[in-house]
Amino acid sequence: MSSGRPILKTSLPSIHAASASMGPSKSATPRQAPPNAQGSQQQTASLPNRPIADPRHVAIALHHAHQIQAQKDTETLILDRILELVTFPSAPSADPASPSPEDARAFKHALVPFQPTDYDNLILERNIEGLCGYGLCPREHRKEDAKGTYRITWGAKGSGPGGRGRDMNIIPKEKLEMWCSDECAERAMYIRVQLAEEPVWERRADEARGKQFLLLEEGRAAQGQSNMRSSATVKEVVGQLGNLQMGEAQSSSDMADDIGRLSVRDDTRSRELALERGDSHPALYTGRVGIHVQENDNAHGPVTAPQMRPGDEKGGSIEGYVPHDQ
Amino acid sequence: MDDDYATSSVDADREMTRLWRTWRTVFEMLLDRGYEVTEDEVQMPLAVFKEKYSDPLGYPDRNKMKISARPTEAMQAKYTPLPSKSNPTPQPDCGTIYVEFCPDATAVGTKQVRTFNHLVDENNYHTGVFITQTPISPSAVRLLSSMPGRICEHFQEQDLLVNITRHELVPKHVLLSPDEKARLLERYRLKESQLPRIQVSDPVARYLGLRRGQVVKIIRRSETAGRYASYRWVI
Repeated sequence: MSSGRPILKTSLPSIHAASASMGPSKSATPRQAPPNAQGSQQQTASLPNRPIADPRHVAIALHHAHQIQAQKDTETLILDRILELVTFPSAPSADPASPSPEDARAFKHALVPFQPTDYDNLILERNIEGLCGYGLCPREHRKEDAKGTYRITWGAKGSGPGGRGRDMNIIPKEKLEMWCSDECAERAMYIRVQLAEEPVWERRADEARGKQFLLLEEGRAAQGQSNMRSSATVKEVVGQLGNLQMGEAQSSSDMADDIGRLSVRDDTRSRELALERGDSHPALYTGRVGIHVQENDNAHGPVTAPQMRPGDEKGGSIEGYVPHDQ
Repeated sequence: MDDDYATSSVDADREMTRLWRTWRTVFEMLLDRGYEVTEDEVQMPLAVFKEKYSDPLGYPDRNKMKISARPTEAMQAKYTPLPSKSNPTPQPDCGTIYVEFCPDATAVGTKQVRTFNHLVDENNYHTGVFITQTPISPSAVRLLSSMPGRICEHFQEQDLLVNITRHELVPKHVLLSPDEKARLLERYRLKESQLPRIQVSDPVARYLGLRRGQVVKIIRRSETAGRYASYRWVI
């Protein structure tokens, strides 16, 4: 069916003439040529029968491979840190209530990549070594001689319900044996709640949580100060409210400026966004999908309204075909 | 006779017997994996074991219990990868195995594992098997498995009390050599990812020390066909 008829779908008679003279059989030959040429190129570049890898795909694959490698590296780092902290603190006579500044700094620094589960592993590891679970305590952990899996602990006087009697807790023996004393348990748990829940490779760069830790003593000291301050600064708060209103008035006038600054391709902003999404690799700066905007050239010259041509009053031609008059 | 002494000797006897069964399973395991062990070692009677490995009080002395075994020719053939263009004469990926029983009765942590790792590395053993009485801590597991270039496995004594592969409901597992694997894949025109799978943490896979990427043949009894073979890809 296609052999006799022209195969091109166009209304231009000159093209029809050319294709008809060439014939359909020849039109197939130029199609086959490119793969052959490509194949010879491939053999020189890489293994045969394998398509040439798109450098973009290679970059993305490498990016993910690097991410996985970074995760593994972090895990080994955490393991090393645990091994390091098992034999902490450096001095056997150190006091957990007031550790030496170097020890405290090293302890806090070592805990940065930790998740709570890693911290639990550290406590377990220290207990196996026979030490108290709190990283800055050099003492041995408690050993309860009596059998039985649970212990009853009594709180201070007046800690019970309604402020009378004593608070009573039933605690598994293992939990009690983790620490040398209740104070150390409190200190260790105070650190644990400050650890970031998500693994270190998913954390954002600007997140403060899980980077700066406060020991229980430091936390208590800071709390005492803030309590004193909050009672004294009613005036300050009023002053800040005034500032806030002024800021609002200013902001409405700056709005136009802000919009002017806003543009579709803001390089620094897109980089921030990439950082937030975890696409920090340079290959992904432009996004995961390549977009090439190609402007057509034929839009040049002023556009004019269509004009009447001869024959248009009867409806004109339809793709070159002029209907007959009836 | 002293009553105290009697109870302690009964205790020691029980522990000794339990350990003897573990010991025996370890040797059966080495034999099934294809290491060179003698019939006498596998079939060691309890009396001989007691004589050899107990301290003066009658309790087992785990420090004496160390085993090392070399792979047989058959095993080396099984672990030799197929020759390729980049590696025309491949070396077998197996070597001397070393088994140690940890003497610590309480929790085992990174300290013991580190010394074990060090020992395996120093004596250039290919594989190390660390057998403890209690479970080991998560960081110790990670430390044990992160030995570069060597394979370290961990078992608990109670896991090896009974040889699970001798149970009537456990079918026979046979490891295929790379050559046999290639032929299997060619015969059924499969990619290895199209095979059914078995986990590395599977009890039998752990017993046989299977590694990722190997294929194991499982032969079961079948009422209709007599024998039925299936294949699993270790992941």
